[in-house]
Amino acid sequence: MLTKKGKYGLKALVHLSELPAGQLAFVNDIAVANNIPKKFLDAILGELRNAGFVQSRKGKDGGYRLARLPAEIKIGHVVRVLDGPLAPIPCASRTQYQPCEDCDEATCQVRHMMLEVRQAIAEVLDNRSLAQMRDAANDDMLAGIKYQI
Amino acid sequence: MNERASTRLAIIVIGGGASGVLLAAHLLRNRDADIRITLIEKRPVFGQGVAYSTALPDHLLNVSALGMSAYADDPEHFLRWLIGRGLATTENPRVYVPRSLYGEYLATVLADLRGGDGGQDRIHLLSEECVSVTTTAAGVDVKLANGASVVGHVAVLAVGHEEQPSVEKALAVRPGSPDDTPVDPDSTVLILGTGLSMVDAFLSLTASGHRGRIVALSRRGLVPSIHQAGKPIRLDAADVPLGTDLSYFVRWFRRLVRDTERNGGDWRDVVDGIRPFNQRIWQSWPHSARRRFIDHTRAWWDIHRHRMPPELHERVIRAVAEGELELVAGKLVEAKRRGDGFEATIRRRHGPRTETISVARIYDCTGITTDLAAGSNPIVRSLIDRGLARPDPLRIGLDVTPQCAIVGSDGQPSERLFAIGPLTRGAFFEIEAIPDIRVQCAGLAKRLAAGAGIAA
Repeated sequence: MLTKKGKYGLKALVHLSELPAGQLAFVNDIAVANNIPKKFLDAILGELRNAGFVQSRKGKDGGYRLARLPAEIKIGHVVRVLDGPLAPIPCASRTQYQPCEDCDEATCQVRHMMLEVRQAIAEVLDNRSLAQMRDAANDDMLAGIKYQI
Repeated sequence: MNERASTRLAIIVIGGGASGVLLAAHLLRNRDADIRITLIEKRPVFGQGVAYSTALPDHLLNVSALGMSAYADDPEHFLRWLIGRGLATTENPRVYVPRSLYGEYLATVLADLRGGDGGQDRIHLLSEECVSVTTTAAGVDVKLANGASVVGHVAVLAVGHEEQPSVEKALAVRPGSPDDTPVDPDSTVLILGTGLSMVDAFLSLTASGHRGRIVALSRRGLVPSIHQAGKPIRLDAADVPLGTDLSYFVRWFRRLVRDTERNGGDWRDVVDGIRPFNQRIWQSWPHSARRRFIDHTRAWWDIHRHRMPPELHERVIRAVAEGELELVAGKLVEAKRRGDGFEATIRRRHGPRTETISVARIYDCTGITTDLAAGSNPIVRSLIDRGLARPDPLRIGLDVTPQCAIVGSDGQPSERLFAIGPLTRGAFFEIEAIPDIRVQCAGLAKRLAAGAGIAA
């Protein structure tokens, strides 16, 4: 399941992808524009930096920018870094498996189905780039404007 | 030639070693594919290549019989072949048999498919050396060393391993190559590299009665680990971090090893469990991560990933303990010809001083060619010279797409030229062993067969 952390991280990356290449953005500006608590965003951007998706510069003119082209950053790769293994429920993960208190996972049909679902999630998210996600939203917006006219 | 009148897809496979034969086998196995294959190999025998041409019984396969089937969807194919010849039993399927047997197996696979219904008509074997490939309006034109040429619709390069030492090691010799003449058994021999190829060279030397010093040199002096039966962990792609920096991935990997060991498992269970995703991980990495992996992490990865059968491992460890084999962590600073032999100057790791030793032979067992464009293969060079191919960004192989299409100097993938096996390591990374090559061949065979109906 996509957590708030995952969602905020993706929003921040879209924000950075809309800037001219190489331009830095202040954490505060990203936070305000996307309605994300600043402290939380600091932590999220720190993790994205550790994984190599963004770069930062310290100081008065400091901030964050993408470390790679938006077309090269895959959504599924970002979500794994922020939220861990892609899994619709906590028991449907192999490395960070958390058993449910109220069922036997070996025979749990729901878990079996969810293991299949996670493959499908990976299939979708690993084949969508940050650039595609950014442009898809813009396309929808343009379509909306046209409709109003 | 009446190729034009036919709608059959004419596929020229250049290189009849393990990769080439596996591709041919996967193509022929599909009885509905309307194809005609010309398989060209410069050696007199098909299926051996560089890897399986050794006759030394000590040169064992480094993968057990259960991992060596020509077909991933029929994993016991090789084992059955062995059992049929009384060389293995069902009770003990994890045997490590001599490599020469594998060449024989591949030759049989090929012979069986040729002997099958209409087989002779679908594949033609040619024992010749190829010197160049060009694309034409209608397809490809492959020139042979004897002056003749072969035309087809598509060509697949399966030329495998580099046979000449790399440029900076020009004085060295690849074991088993024509330059590998007998050496004085009392002389000192220097082997560059301490991986599986070094072990092969060491075994060849001792089998021929070598009594002199054998010094094996690599940056870290690490030798491959030992195989041990285990239970690979189960992973899904959804579990594996992709597209991150190298250090992030390495931290994740180490944590997974720790967790697995805490639960009673072994590091091998993680190394083997992650194997189905190795290519995907490699392909997801930015160039910087790939570069850093090759430069800093590969040596560690290789000794854990490419392991030795127990009997070989014990022998190597014993040889090191008894001084029969000297492992040196360090660098070759310089090598000069002196008389019949060479003077090699070595700087030990973390040591400021150099030492010079007189050696009769320097073997190059370092694996990856550092610059493919400077390599010895005339076909590869001709393609690069004409702009039909280019080295991958790391220059360890040819630039190919994940679908095996060769990428030209203009960045466009070819529709006529493909490559498989070790040549594609820039894009596939682990593509030296049969379990990986057979999957790559199955995929390309399927795509080529799908195009067979619409060719010409």
